[in-house]
Amino acid sequence: MEKTYTVIPKNCTGCRTCELACSMVKGVDGNLGHSRINIYPTGPDRFMQMTCMQCIDAACVSVCPTDALMRNKETDAVEVVEERCIGCALCETACPFGHIHFDELKGIPLKCDLCGGEPTCVRFCPHRALEMRR
Amino acid sequence: MTQILIDNRKFNAEEGETILEVARRNQIDIPTLCHHEALEAVGACRLCTVEITGEDWNGSTKLVSACLYPVEEGLIVQTRSEGVLRLRQTVLDLLMARCPESTVIRDLATQHGQVTEYQQFTDGSKCIMCYLCVRACAKLGCHAISAVNRGTLKEVAPPFHEHAESCVGCGTCATICPTGHIEMVDTAETRTIWKREFEFVTCKVCGEPLITKAYRDYALENRRLPNDYYTVCSACKKSELSGHFARLSL
Repeated sequence: MEKTYTVIPKNCTGCRTCELACSMVKGVDGNLGHSRINIYPTGPDRFMQMTCMQCIDAACVSVCPTDALMRNKETDAVEVVEERCIGCALCETACPFGHIHFDELKGIPLKCDLCGGEPTCVRFCPHRALEMRR
Repeated sequence: MTQILIDNRKFNAEEGETILEVARRNQIDIPTLCHHEALEAVGACRLCTVEITGEDWNGSTKLVSACLYPVEEGLIVQTRSEGVLRLRQTVLDLLMARCPESTVIRDLATQHGQVTEYQQFTDGSKCIMCYLCVRACAKLGCHAISAVNRGTLKEVAPPFHEHAESCVGCGTCATICPTGHIEMVDTAETRTIWKREFEFVTCKVCGEPLITKAYRDYALENRRLPNDYYTVCSACKKSELSGHFARLSL
């Protein structure tokens, strides 16, 4: 892993451009409900970006009965292998951070896969509140 | 390592691989309905049938299902021979008669230019007997449903069409069903599936339904996760933790 996905909450203005970029690239028709990153207000002019931590000992990976969640060795991201998913939705409830959203229509979980190493949210954040750091 | 010929192109294959796996890896299209990468192949739909022969077979051929047939050295596979196409059309023809309401079947039939010559079933069943639900249920270790009866009366159901006792109401069968045949009704408090009603665990913060109580008990027993993993919904977890992380980062 060369770079680490980093959130810098003090730079975040809560503009939600990251949410929009994510839902446009990863979701269907830019539906904001499909965004893998969410902004939560935490105080006056304070925001926190909430997205998958790509946990080392991930609950979603250990709970999956079909090994449909696997770590990408290049990016170190936990990715959903759609062909192997049977739609039991255990991962959604198992995630201790609430970062997996189950898409009822497609019957598969939606989670951040770091866009294959170059996250779109990082590219679109106008305030450098999201970075890929070395 | 073995070498096989598919549609006159040479491919390397590992021992134990099936024809379908080798074909899919090399972007050769073989239609399937009952195949799922995570579930054991059963060869139920017969749509992946291919024609095989070998150099020392003296010109004889046979039709086999690609999802089950393991590769062997020198195997010659045809995925679009006359016999294969005719068999595929028959399969689709019968499926069109059985479940004309199903969009998956209609799309496949349109793709292959198939219209049914048989009298269509009118009972509104959308089940195509792919057993994805049965196998997914077994994969989770519940074994609540299975195929019952024979012939045209064959269907997927819990034992004796009664309350599915080992069902935990996870809804995986309804999610994986390619035709939307399995009925699952969710209300704010309960989920009804296979003639059983399950109570939901609700999020202790916002009250949204989370998973059924039986499914939570199953998960706690079989998946070894702490009890509090199944008490709060995703949105509330995130909202709660965002405040916690903000305090950490200040």
